[in-house]
Amino acid sequence: MSKIKKLQKLLESKEITCAELTERYLQNIERQNKTINAYIKVTAEEALETAKKVDEKIAAGEKLMPLEGIPMSLKDNISTKGIETTCCSKMLQGYCPIYDASVWESLKNQNSVLLGKTNMDEFAMGSSCETSIFGVTLNPRNTDYVAGGSSGGAAASVAGDMAVFGIGSDTGGSIRQPASFCGLVGFKPTYGTVSRYGLIAYASSLDQIGPITGSVEDAAIIYDCLSSYDPKDSTSVGSKTGTRDKIKDSIKGMKIGIIQEFFDGINKDVKSSLEEAIRVYQDAGTQIVPFEMPKLNAVLPVYFIISCAEASSNLGRYDGIRYGYTSDAYKDINEMICKNRSEGFGKEVQRRILLGTYALSSGKYDAYYKKAQSLRYSIIRDFKKIFENCDLILTPSVPVTAYKKGQALVDPIEIYMMDICTVPANIAGLPAVSVPCGFDENNLPIGMQLIGNNFEDYKVLNAAYQFEKLTGESFLRPEVEI
Amino acid sequence: MITKEEVLRIAKIAKLYVKDDEADRLIEDMSTIIDYADAINAIVEDRDVEFDDINNIANAYNEDVVLPSYDRDEILKNREGGENGYFLVRKSLRG
Amino acid sequence: MSYELVAGLETHVELSTKAKIFCQCTTEFGGDPNTHCCPICMGMPGTLPKLNKKVVEYAVKAGLATNCKIRNVSKMDRKNYTYPDLPKAYQISQFDKPICYDGYIKLSSGKNIRINRIHIEEDAGKLIHEGGDTYIDYNRGGVPLIEIVTEPDFRSIDEVIEYLEKLRLIMKYIGVSDVKMQEGSLRCDVNISARKKGDEKFGTRTEIKNMNSLNFIAKAMEYEFNRHVDILESGGVIDQETRRYDSALNITESMRDKEDEDDYRYFRDPDLVNIIISEEEINKLKVELPQLPDKKLDIFMNEYGLPKDDADLLIKYKKIAEYFEEASKGIKNKKLVSNYILSQVYRRMPTDSDKEECSVSLPPKYLGELISLLENKKINSSMASQALEKMLDTGKPVSEFISKKDMEGIDEGLLREICLRAVDENKEAVESYLGGKEKAFGAIIGYIMKETRGKADPQKAAEIVKEIIKTS
Ligand SMILES: [Mg+2]
Ligand SMILES: [Zn+2]
Repeated sequence: MSKIKKLQKLLESKEITCAELTERYLQNIERQNKTINAYIKVTAEEALETAKKVDEKIAAGEKLMPLEGIPMSLKDNISTKGIETTCCSKMLQGYCPIYDASVWESLKNQNSVLLGKTNMDEFAMGSSCETSIFGVTLNPRNTDYVAGGSSGGAAASVAGDMAVFGIGSDTGGSIRQPASFCGLVGFKPTYGTVSRYGLIAYASSLDQIGPITGSVEDAAIIYDCLSSYDPKDSTSVGSKTGTRDKIKDSIKGMKIGIIQEFFDGINKDVKSSLEEAIRVYQDAGTQIVPFEMPKLNAVLPVYFIISCAEASSNLGRYDGIRYGYTSDAYKDINEMICKNRSEGFGKEVQRRILLGTYALSSGKYDAYYKKAQSLRYSIIRDFKKIFENCDLILTPSVPVTAYKKGQALVDPIEIYMMDICTVPANIAGLPAVSVPCGFDENNLPIGMQLIGNNFEDYKVLNAAYQFEKLTGESFLRPEVEI
Repeated sequence: MITKEEVLRIAKIAKLYVKDDEADRLIEDMSTIIDYADAINAIVEDRDVEFDDINNIANAYNEDVVLPSYDRDEILKNREGGENGYFLVRKSLRG
Repeated sequence: MSYELVAGLETHVELSTKAKIFCQCTTEFGGDPNTHCCPICMGMPGTLPKLNKKVVEYAVKAGLATNCKIRNVSKMDRKNYTYPDLPKAYQISQFDKPICYDGYIKLSSGKNIRINRIHIEEDAGKLIHEGGDTYIDYNRGGVPLIEIVTEPDFRSIDEVIEYLEKLRLIMKYIGVSDVKMQEGSLRCDVNISARKKGDEKFGTRTEIKNMNSLNFIAKAMEYEFNRHVDILESGGVIDQETRRYDSALNITESMRDKEDEDDYRYFRDPDLVNIIISEEEINKLKVELPQLPDKKLDIFMNEYGLPKDDADLLIKYKKIAEYFEEASKGIKNKKLVSNYILSQVYRRMPTDSDKEECSVSLPPKYLGELISLLENKKINSSMASQALEKMLDTGKPVSEFISKKDMEGIDEGLLREICLRAVDENKEAVESYLGGKEKAFGAIIGYIMKETRGKADPQKAAEIVKEIIKTS
């Protein structure tokens, strides 16, 4: 059931005012955020101001826009004019954007109620929020575990009832993985359908903004609001709206592809949940089709060559001259820049900048960056071929469930391996959703991923929505009284 | 395997300092990742993709129309120490 | 031992679009520091560039005007380097697929200077160093540039200067840049080396960066060439390096701050999309190109019969060339028009920018009318000169200053009558003339000119008078 729809009914029928609703969420944040650490900044004043506007509209009998009056959160890499935006990096502490990201502009125009900015891995580089200068975000499902990352704060804000929805960004799984860990719906739309303008870049050709919600229908409502052509983003294509109407279509006869390699070596609870999910789909009259993806072993190397290379360039601008961290002692401009960067960036960020610089450097470009690009488009062609014969691909969202706090992996390769299921959609720009599909032995949520062809976002959400229905919403979080 | 010299050269280009006590660990991590990435060189794929584009968009243009620039106060907002409207980098600070 | 100079040029030309290359801030020169800026040209986190369409158009025009091939598909790349004048720490430029390539500019000697490529890129901000502190103004950051790169085809400083003058003129003619060197809208890097005459192999080159005056370029090249020769002569080796020209000392010096090895890590900018130009679009731009200076020079000399020096002066400013063309419509003796323009009209435009704008208020058509009267001997040259001064003062047509009656001139019958009277009333002078005093003849003509208020053609009058005297 769409929480957005439900709340708007309550608002329109005046059972609750937007101010009261906002207050309750702010109280929830007050109560829980100390433990969970979903928010790194709460914008209570602005939220209540917006709520007042919405209440005035309701009093005047005006109809509400789809996201109007809905309390929500923004990941801290989305630029908000006049509100500090740090990417959870020492480098950007105190930085106040002088313009709004396009997504925030449209949400603002809808009078969505911004409750605050959410925690993330520094510059979105990580998968547990542990690289954030504000520290780890805990999983509201079980605070012994992490919420995931990099949009961990966004997921925790929703899972902890501290926001109706969270807007995150996904470069290699940063929306879907924390959604999976927290038992939520996390949707990464087709590259280009949601404007990146104002999203502080990690890897430009992979980054995409999307929602984390409690239900598929909410994700569809938000996607419809955010997916429009933005003249400020050269890579923007916009999208047909009306996704929300299409999600209720029958999925009978739909072909769902399975690529065996995604199921190899995954956690046994994840595996059995996924197998059960496949049965649910079969019972609903879909056709399960096996496929091969021989270049799957290239996906991760390609991903981190490209993401690090782009990051090394995107993060070059942080020199501490126009904004951002400044060191207090230096001999000359060059030393100043080096010091600002070495002190302002965390270890993981520096490591990725170095790797990216290496992959692009003279003598290495052909072997790494160029080769990775060549393979990237080869993988894209493979996906195109697969989608000639099926509608969707079903995979786990993550091979495992949430990590125990303080027990994050140390081996860099093992860490990267956890992204194997989510990264392909970024490499190929495809839409992909993570939906809850079960629990492991510790009662931690398990996520299932559905990947669709370019611009078939509606199909992805359609199948996800029907899965929710078919399983009686049993994997969704129980409704919390507001 | 990446050498220390290479890491230092790359760090210089990337405008980062590598502290001596961190160098070994960093080199080890970078080597692990680079060795892993080297796997792609075993795959034969040499198609020229320099103009390939995920969504095949081309020609996204602005018209040549001037819009008002930002107030200078806004432009300088995130940096104190500007003088006469310039960004200012002092020669040295206690260096 | 005699040495030969070898040089190649990289010329940055600022395009005269209204808006910057990737945002919509003004490109206007100057302005208070950091007032022509926005989050995009400041490279603020999260901002994205979008290419100004006119930049592509102008670059293609520049390519067409310099005989380049135009690439149907090109792309924008990032050139990564950290410097405070570059707010993103990368310059958006074109690396391996420049929009124009393989062109040339022909020198007056007939030699072609080959153009390797023309690519699009953004300008950087401006640093002002004062007392060791650095002040940064980003107004110029994001102003569109084209970079025109030649092959190492130059063999003398004169060739370089001629090429640059030609290039400037072409850019001005096609209207893609105002090429004001003092405002830095044309800047040059010169690659220079020396080799023994007759050698095939090039010597090691050095690059002199960022010069914006022809005079300095010539001086810097001369200094640098001599420096190379001196080193080579004494058995030394040239370091391949980047140098700057110090105009106060007239020397070039190594740029030590550039010493760090550059590794630009070029890669396609993922924030921008392909630039696709169809043949039709290219043809459309080709058609829009105005007549180029070389073509005009050819017409002025070979069709209009102007001497080269005059033609050169006329084409030097596009608007003056056009003024000439307009004024000389329907005039047979084009030289006559050119003469008046290069003397009297020219004097009214003392400064370079006056000439650039062809700032006289007199419409060229009016000048044409005046010259037509002169050409048809309705008025004489001194009348024409005097009238032209008044016309230039006021911008008004010749009819304001010479009456209709005067413009009709004097028919031969009337002139003969006046001549007869002149001989009659100047008997003394006639006598003197017949007695061998040539000078006395002037008095007779003077009388005629006075009687006709200057309208008579003195030559014609002289013929008639001589005839009268002979037959009387
Ligand atoms: Mg250049
Ligand atoms: Zn701007």
